[in-house]
Amino acid sequence: MTLHSDDPRDIGWVRENIPCQNACPAGTDIPAYIRAIAAGNHGQAYEINREANVLPGVLGRICSRPCESACRHGWAGNGDPVAICHLKRSAADLKDSRHRITERLYAPTGKRIAVVGAGPAGVAAAHDLSLLGHDVVILEREEKPGGMLRYGIPEFRLPRAMLEIELRNALRLGVQLRTGVTVGTTQGAIRVSTLLADHDAVLLATGCMAPVLLPLRGVPEGTDLARHCQDVEYGLPFLMDLHRGQNKRVGRRVAVVGAGFTALDCARVARRLGGREVTIHLRTSEEYIPVTSEELFETKREGIRIKGLRTPVALRTDGDGRLTGVAFVQNRLGGWRENGRRLATPIEGSEFIEPCDTLIIAIGQHTVNDFLDMRVELDRAGNVRVAENGMTSVHGLFAAGDYVRGASTAIEAIGHARRIADRIDAWLVGRQRRRTVRIEAVAAPPRLPAHDFIPKCHMPTIPLAERQQPTREVELGFTPELAAEEAKRCYLCDLRYQIDVDRCIYCRACIEVAPRNCIKLARDVEIRADGSLGALRETREWRRVAAIWIDNNECIRCGACFKVCPVACISITRNHFVTVDG
Amino acid sequence: MNADLAASPAPRHHVIIGNGVAGNQAAELLRDRDPESRVTILTHSRLLFYNRYRLPRIFQDVTSWPELLALPPEHYAARRIHVRRECRVSAVDPRNRLVKLAHNETIPYDTLLVATGGRGHLPEELAEYRPLFHHFGSYEAAMATRRALPDRGAVVMLGGDMIGLDLARTLLAIQCRVILVTHETTFWPHALTPEERAEALSTLETMGIEVIDGDARGGIVAVEQGAPGLPARRVRFHNGGDLYGDVVMPCFGLTPMVEFMVGTGIDIERGVLVNPQLRTSDPCIFAAGDVCQIWSEEERAYRFYYGYRNVRAMGAVAAVNMTGGQEAFATTRAESIGRDAQGRIDSSFWVYEA
Repeated sequence: MTLHSDDPRDIGWVRENIPCQNACPAGTDIPAYIRAIAAGNHGQAYEINREANVLPGVLGRICSRPCESACRHGWAGNGDPVAICHLKRSAADLKDSRHRITERLYAPTGKRIAVVGAGPAGVAAAHDLSLLGHDVVILEREEKPGGMLRYGIPEFRLPRAMLEIELRNALRLGVQLRTGVTVGTTQGAIRVSTLLADHDAVLLATGCMAPVLLPLRGVPEGTDLARHCQDVEYGLPFLMDLHRGQNKRVGRRVAVVGAGFTALDCARVARRLGGREVTIHLRTSEEYIPVTSEELFETKREGIRIKGLRTPVALRTDGDGRLTGVAFVQNRLGGWRENGRRLATPIEGSEFIEPCDTLIIAIGQHTVNDFLDMRVELDRAGNVRVAENGMTSVHGLFAAGDYVRGASTAIEAIGHARRIADRIDAWLVGRQRRRTVRIEAVAAPPRLPAHDFIPKCHMPTIPLAERQQPTREVELGFTPELAAEEAKRCYLCDLRYQIDVDRCIYCRACIEVAPRNCIKLARDVEIRADGSLGALRETREWRRVAAIWIDNNECIRCGACFKVCPVACISITRNHFVTVDG
Repeated sequence: MNADLAASPAPRHHVIIGNGVAGNQAAELLRDRDPESRVTILTHSRLLFYNRYRLPRIFQDVTSWPELLALPPEHYAARRIHVRRECRVSAVDPRNRLVKLAHNETIPYDTLLVATGGRGHLPEELAEYRPLFHHFGSYEAAMATRRALPDRGAVVMLGGDMIGLDLARTLLAIQCRVILVTHETTFWPHALTPEERAEALSTLETMGIEVIDGDARGGIVAVEQGAPGLPARRVRFHNGGDLYGDVVMPCFGLTPMVEFMVGTGIDIERGVLVNPQLRTSDPCIFAAGDVCQIWSEEERAYRFYYGYRNVRAMGAVAAVNMTGGQEAFATTRAESIGRDAQGRIDSSFWVYEA
């Protein structure tokens, strides 16, 4: 039995009960692809991924993994989250070499769209717009496409062969890629106004590439420290120069200031370039830095030290202007920021010096708008302001990804770009697409109780001795056996267990076997304004029991209740979103 | 008395996570200062409080765990201090004042003392060799190491913190060969100048310890099982020159055990951050011992204080402040390393008073 539902209760259930998919900015159907991997169908898993994200093999290596932070297996008392990202990579790595990609094409629309920027957002949007039947051209300033993926991420984390093949697959449906083309106001550059005149829509996906400058004592505000002192570099330009083929050098003692992936990448690159003592300096502490624990571990494993609670305040140089150290002040942890991270409060009179020969500053990036030859409304942060459908204040000029939202992650840029592509399509041709819930009956619990006791499978890596080669990929990928084993750990949260109260005899057998407090006696359930179901109102008094209810938030999909029920009143369905026209 | 503490109705429940010097010292004082209260110590250990300073004697004359116990079991009963062993704390919920245990039990508290201490630090680059190392952080680990060490066997000590060097004295006394591979953590927690370090290393050689310069060999590249007919372990270096030993012990100092506090909102850097009153960023939670970094007004920095006297003093200060006091911790002795009358290395870190 399969049916589609627009019932707000079903939509609400899927939205809330599949935390990994809900946390994924691209909305990847994670339980579905993990189920395919468990069955050994890596190609199918790859295709499921590709529906939401055209670069699964890339994201399977460098994603920030918001899905894993949300994974129900990682909730208190449930153990470690499933290695979702490594499984995504497995789908890409282990699929058959003759695997055929499936694309569902719409009829040509005759509409012409220019995308500025071939980073993750630009490529994702171009791919989707092309599928939707539009003629798409991408204009890219660099010699090759990929943006941050190619120029900002070191090869030891993202092999270029994988990037190359997935970019080609994303753009081969007729997207015209023009590299080495500058869009801007300089001589020889193409004006945005020209693009607007020649196309039905223009999408700006230029990313967020300008480094945030570090203010230091004794240096005029707004000074680019990299020009002020030859031993100082900004993180992203440092990586971009390296990946454009420049010969980069660092000193013996390298200080990296910053807390994100770029800071860690700079430190690991500096180590490979010969830095003997590489230290990352944090304003707060390790607990609050936005990187994955695996990245942190590998960084430390390569001999990089991490020191917290310090803010750089001044450079120390010798008579020749060469860097000899950085002055820091000690911090206290301060209040909370909106993103769940902490503020740092410098402590007066706590200055100290850390000797170093090279300083790499990686404290973030901001967008630049000087390439625009027309007035476009900006927000307070200097990012372009867009309407709900991604259109800027200029008719037909859209924006997506980090260019709109500020520096984020590749998966956020891709997720955002896909949504904007959909809206550009709606704006151009009036096509409406909507999400509905597909509900499929499942005959029996697909998981075994033993699966709950499988320890998390860790990613094999190359030995430290082999990490001197700057392009050698550090992570080796799961074997098919490891991938299958890890896939079994997934609770398959898209499975919905329900008790038919009309058939239930209230024997409590399911409650007795439940491994958690997941089956509850309910007197009522909250119905929210949007029609979805909210909190359960429990009762312990039999006379008030209106239903015996499976709390899918607590449920770990073990199937024990299904198996013990004497009257077979428990059903299992798989519930997931699909996008349909109309 | 602190308003948050005063708000708790008597009898209060003081919960201590950790069964070491700081935790036990605090428990004793809490019982004295708050006779009506409930005092509970949670420990993941199977044993009651035992004397870790006497662990090296396992290699000499101590043959069973009761000999190591600092206090008899009856003492806890008499003092109404409830010790719950084999309890692994998985999380702390400061908002609801609950300690969550790995087996899903929750324990409410009015005041909480985190005194979990530290575990032997293993640099991440050596983490993959963990199963091949011999440890010394607990009675069980020390016994396993003793069993692996043959008579007059060879011990390769990596790092050489003061915990390891204390053990080295015993190992030398029982005619074992001790090979020290130096590292930046050698002599931890003492921070020595290059001159002091050179002198201290020379003293170790005089004592009979073979000192290998880890940096000169390019650092450790692998730890492996020894080949048949050779000692059980082989340590390989980047620049060659393998070392063999019957046991290989990582002695790189301590890492505070704070994992269960991550995500609670309590301020943590490497250890739990506390003010001189040993209060964390939550007014009802205190920390003492090797797990905490204490703000030093003098040094304008958070720092660790190690050694029996310091840790015991912290336990006492925490207990006083958990019961409404306002005492500040002050280190009890300058941290120093030197030579004793016999020319052997001596450290304030080793001082223990029963």
